[in-house]
Amino acid sequence: MNAIRDIKPLFACALIAAAFVATPAFAAKGDLEAGKTKSLACQACHGVDGNSIDPMYPRIAGQYADYLARALHEYKDGKRKNVIMAGFATTLSDQDILDLSAYFAALPGKLDDLSKHEHAK
Amino acid sequence: MTRVLLLAIALLSAPALAEESKGDIAEGRLKANTCTGCHGITGWKNAYPNYHVPRIAGQNYEYVVAALTEYKNGERAHPTMRAQGESLSEVDIRDIAAFLSSLKIAE
Repeated sequence: MNAIRDIKPLFACALIAAAFVATPAFAAKGDLEAGKTKSLACQACHGVDGNSIDPMYPRIAGQYADYLARALHEYKDGKRKNVIMAGFATTLSDQDILDLSAYFAALPGKLDDLSKHEHAK
Repeated sequence: MTRVLLLAIALLSAPALAEESKGDIAEGRLKANTCTGCHGITGWKNAYPNYHVPRIAGQNYEYVVAALTEYKNGERAHPTMRAQGESLSEVDIRDIAAFLSSLKIAE
């Protein structure tokens, strides 16, 4: 009985923690239209369609949305260091990042998974 | 005199260095074999944190060189990619980048 009484508060804490962890997953949805509006600044380097012409900048059209979001968060947090990207990423909210990632991921791109080329000669 | 000669050699060899800066596609194809383990599988996800391993076929040359060099130098965090980067020479990096950037999207 004592054991159950001891466990109860722990269980409650776990539930609350689970609710907090789960909440962003429900909200984590990018809006394509909003992303398009916010993408103006990106276009200067990454191209109007996300297929950067200057080889210095990565193509981002058709890239996985969650990878793009990850990269933007890393620039924002300073885990990935790039002067240009840090300047932009620090101005972005979590929702901005979701919207931009969804938008560029949805654009027709020239990027591909490597397996389709493994045996290409 | 020696100094002038050295300077002349340095100046003359500069364009040669610039020329060899582009990697070899055929070499890169062989060296990129390891990459397919993670970047080859459509929809493959990084275990933790959980996100898709990026598409790299068709990516731009200079960006790939910069990214791999950053991993090699420990400037980008991903542990697996850092380990890969450390094993690559600068020539390897250029070859792999030349191969990846030469790929066109599969029909």
